[in-house]
Amino acid sequence: MKRFLVGLAALLLAGMAGSASAQTMSYAEAGALIAKSCGPSIERFCAKDNLGTGAVRNCLMAHQDQVPQQCFDDYAAARASIAKRIAAQGDAWNVCNANIRQACAGVQPGDANILTCLQSASKVIRPACKDILVDAGWWQ
Amino acid sequence: MTRITRFVGGLALAAVLAAPLAGTATAQTPDSDAQIMQGLSQATMFDPALTAQVLRQMAQDAVTQNLPLTLDKSEIAKRLDKLAQITVQIQFALGSDIIRPESYRTLGSIADAMHHPILANYKFIVVGNTDTTGTRAFNLKLSQERANAIVQALVVVFGVSPDRLEAVGLGQEALQVPSKPQDPVNRRVQIFTIGTVGPMGAPVPTSAP
Repeated sequence: MKRFLVGLAALLLAGMAGSASAQTMSYAEAGALIAKSCGPSIERFCAKDNLGTGAVRNCLMAHQDQVPQQCFDDYAAARASIAKRIAAQGDAWNVCNANIRQACAGVQPGDANILTCLQSASKVIRPACKDILVDAGWWQ
Repeated sequence: MTRITRFVGGLALAAVLAAPLAGTATAQTPDSDAQIMQGLSQATMFDPALTAQVLRQMAQDAVTQNLPLTLDKSEIAKRLDKLAQITVQIQFALGSDIIRPESYRTLGSIADAMHHPILANYKFIVVGNTDTTGTRAFNLKLSQERANAIVQALVVVFGVSPDRLEAVGLGQEALQVPSKPQDPVNRRVQIFTIGTVGPMGAPVPTSAP
């Protein structure tokens, strides 16, 4: 039993470490990563395609044999990170709702007032709330 | 009306406005990410009459009638100046609305600022400007297409709500440096914070005893 508990604790720790290292990149970093790994190919093959239309991605795929694999890997990583951050930013207030009610009574929403309140109450913030704020890019 | 003045720093706006003179988007640093946030959250007032539609019509009328629109000296310009704003350089392919990869990071920085809780309840006008190379009509059309491309990228790639963004092309009608109309410094993108999306919401209820 004791061994089981130790094992469980180790698993939980590993899980926490995993979630900490799974934090998202900023949108600026994601944009920079795509530019760094795919910029030369985009300039070369897709000079008439604009971001946000799906055309750049299709064009890169169409020139798959000439585009470095690193571009596809980093493009996928950047898009996944962007999607994760968007989701975290959308869900953050729901996930943190209990903490907000507990720690931020009377605070007027807007202008990051709630976030500022949560940050100043960091010691009592639940891990799930803190994790999602990290993924949202709002918790350093 | 707005309380986002907490991020006001006396020199911050000057720094943001000077940034495009100092370098291109490739020189973006964490410092300029902070400047984007500061610039867009400087609002001390809004000007509800100054809409995207009004700005577009003004530029269109001036080009159609081939009259000078010295927007930089006009009342409108003075009113625009009072809004929270940033000026950024976005690199486009020559004569087209294709955003070059070197500016993807800048787009991301703008999205970072717009998604942050400080700005989450605000909406913006994205304004494209050209220099005077080319015809006025072409420049007006090109700048509108470029502003549209920026909005499209912010919405589709970086998930900013389309309800928060409007695109306006002012062509060559609002030169940054009127004494040097062909200077590339006039080719720039301005983003203005123009108001709130909705009410800020009620205060968090105090817990029942």
